Amino acid sequence: MTDETIILEMKGIYKAFDQNQALDDVSFALRKREIHGLLGGNGAGKTTLMNILYGLYRMDRGSVLRGGREIDIRSPRDAIRHGIAMVHQHFLQVETYSVMENIVLGSDVKHPYTMNLAEERHKVSELAERFGLQVDLDAAVEGLTMGARQKVEILKSLYRGVDILILDEPTTNLTPQEVDTLFESLRVMVNEGLSIVFITHKLREVLSVCDRITVLRNGKNILTLGRGEASEEAFVRAMVGEEMNVEKSIFFSKGKLGEEALRVGETPVLEMENVHLTRSDGIALLKDITLTVYESEILGIAGVAGNGQRELAEVIMGVQPPSGGRIRVRGVAEGSASGDLLRQGVAYIPEDRLHDGFLPKANVATNLILGFHRQPPYSRGVFLDWNKVFETARGLIREYNIKTQSPADAGGNLSGGNIQRVMIARAFSRPAKLLVAHNPTRGLDIPSMEFVYQKLLEGKKGGMATLLLSEDLDELLLLCNRIVVLYRGEIVGVLPRSRFEKYEIGRMMSGVRTNV
Amino acid sequence: MSESLTIINFLKLILLTMVPFVLAGQGTMLGGRTGVFNVAQEGIMLVGASVGFLASWLSGSLFVGMLAAMAAGGLFGLALAYFTTSLKMNQFVIGLALFFIGLGLSTLLPKLVIGVTLTPPLIPTLQDVPIPLLSKIPILGAIFFSQNWLVYASVGLSVLLYYLLYKTSLGLALRAVGENSAAADSLGISVPRMRYAASIIGGMLIGLAGAYLPMVYTGTFTENMVKGRGWLAIALTFFGGWSPHTIFYGSLFFAGVEVLAYRVQVIGSIIPYQFLLMLPYLATILVMVFTFRKSRVPAFLGQNYDREKRVL
Repeated sequence: MTDETIILEMKGIYKAFDQNQALDDVSFALRKREIHGLLGGNGAGKTTLMNILYGLYRMDRGSVLRGGREIDIRSPRDAIRHGIAMVHQHFLQVETYSVMENIVLGSDVKHPYTMNLAEERHKVSELAERFGLQVDLDAAVEGLTMGARQKVEILKSLYRGVDILILDEPTTNLTPQEVDTLFESLRVMVNEGLSIVFITHKLREVLSVCDRITVLRNGKNILTLGRGEASEEAFVRAMVGEEMNVEKSIFFSKGKLGEEALRVGETPVLEMENVHLTRSDGIALLKDITLTVYESEILGIAGVAGNGQRELAEVIMGVQPPSGGRIRVRGVAEGSASGDLLRQGVAYIPEDRLHDGFLPKANVATNLILGFHRQPPYSRGVFLDWNKVFETARGLIREYNIKTQSPADAGGNLSGGNIQRVMIARAFSRPAKLLVAHNPTRGLDIPSMEFVYQKLLEGKKGGMATLLLSEDLDELLLLCNRIVVLYRGEIVGVLPRSRFEKYEIGRMMSGVRTNV
Repeated sequence: MSESLTIINFLKLILLTMVPFVLAGQGTMLGGRTGVFNVAQEGIMLVGASVGFLASWLSGSLFVGMLAAMAAGGLFGLALAYFTTSLKMNQFVIGLALFFIGLGLSTLLPKLVIGVTLTPPLIPTLQDVPIPLLSKIPILGAIFFSQNWLVYASVGLSVLLYYLLYKTSLGLALRAVGENSAAADSLGISVPRMRYAASIIGGMLIGLAGAYLPMVYTGTFTENMVKGRGWLAIALTFFGGWSPHTIFYGSLFFAGVEVLAYRVQVIGSIIPYQFLLMLPYLATILVMVFTFRKSRVPAFLGQNYDREKRVL
């Protein structure tokens, strides 16, 4: 099906952000009619490389060839003119506009002074029909599901008549069913002559849909091979390098955790009874949440982002008071404020690391003890013991492999992945009986994810109860004893590990109730 | 004077007084819809008043004065766009700086051009242009169709902007820049170009709003003659939900309050003069209390856009 013609080539690309060399002599070639997987952990440079191709970033050095001729792409407008479009991980859409308006935005329409879009609408419907991307063209984008919004993004690209489509982590936030539909659409596109670049950090996805795979690591080319040309093992090695023991890893264990690792205690640590949370305008954010997390249990919360996960974490942590119901944490007075909860052995890894859990202008050491700063040994009376703080910080920086100049360096100078490591180090730095972790591995590369998983299982062995809210379904399937699925602030089902099944959970994530 | 005549007069005055609010409000809205939040209206209007007056006096033509005021306002809009869009500096800080520059320039320029005099020169004020036939309609003719041409122009401008923003492809692109600059950029819409254009044209409208004051009310420039109308224009855009039609209605409301305050003052009452001067601002706060929560604001209002800024 794929032919050998190379329609696009990037050669010797360099790009630095300040001191950080994001791309170091990277090359990439795309053939006609292929789905080319661009695989790598976070920070490997996949998105940076494609943002250069799409004209969003300027490369420092290198060349881009289209059909053998060198081209200069200075902006997305140039890229679209050269037949290249990109669908970003975080959809670039105007939320208040309708689907149709989002699609034609920025293009030349037939009637620019009346906006009679009949002709354009006809073309879009035809495209949607042909590629299996049906959406209501008059609906406002803000009300659509993530799956539908992605269809809008792809339609936007196809509408512009491109023949190269770049998809950046397209399966994030999709249910497994939606992922299947997406893959089917991609196949149709390739059959019709398009070429697709598929950026992902999920090996399983590239292996199931891509024709060829290029692996990047730390901004360098590692290999490019056809899907059948190497074992899964070879790609794993290429992604993670030598610094990780793949055989013994939890990440690549495919859900086969030992009996030992799955043992659960009998004492409830967190109990929620009929918890409600209603916004001031009357919209219910959490509805009748009842759940229990036991000692040594990892309870997963699955759901498409924005279905109440954040609110759930925040009511437990005392950030928002619930509008109704009871929340009990063993050994902690009911209704305690977040500071008291932290002091009494509840650890928290908030979702939004830049706004909720981190002070970019404070130094790394301060960030590492934040929330515990009023407790000994860091505090003596009203004064902070900076020697002790720095000593602890140095220890944590070493143990958690945080890449920083010194503990006195400003937190904001750290990369995203390292900021996440600071948050994790802080949460695990004190013995906790309950951990509320919201997307704890977001933005981490595979060895770091592995490290977090090890820490979670270690804590579990020590009796810690964990509420793991994650958008990464594979992560939940790997680690959890039970999974609770949230949809629009309500629990639609609870599954024990024996009944874990991806598609079942996917159905529940889209609101289909199953017998509990 | 009969009762009905007073009411007709009152309504006519509201339309007359509405013009600076419409022009400055729409000018602010236009920039804001692309994300450029101008807060220098008071200063730009003062410069517009000053330059408009001086150019009219020197050339003997009000029209030349208006063009000069628009050019001056456009320059301020250009400066705002340059410092925020190109140099990515904080929009509020730059806006306030431009306000103070405008405040100073507006009094300096007459001193340089005319010198210090006890009796400042006067320019002829803008004449009413009754529209043939329509102005003969009883009552309505007197209220709506016997005004100066800037009154007609400001109504026309509001209609035009409404059409432009909501019914054209250009308007769709312009609003998209203010709602999500990154999305607009990714579709090949030039964010800087759109922001520059909107900021400059917005500045021109605000400058013209200032020139209206000496040309219609006083015939001369006096220090600080804008008297807070520029600040009210900011409130007006929020009040009007950043849409041309609602800003137009809001202008009528502010004009009504201003005329009312002035009338009561002329009639003479026990209400202290200072309180009457406070009235428009008081009304603003009251209106904002009831409408602010519902008011829709462009999502990128006041935010600069940097394509290569990495999101962690």
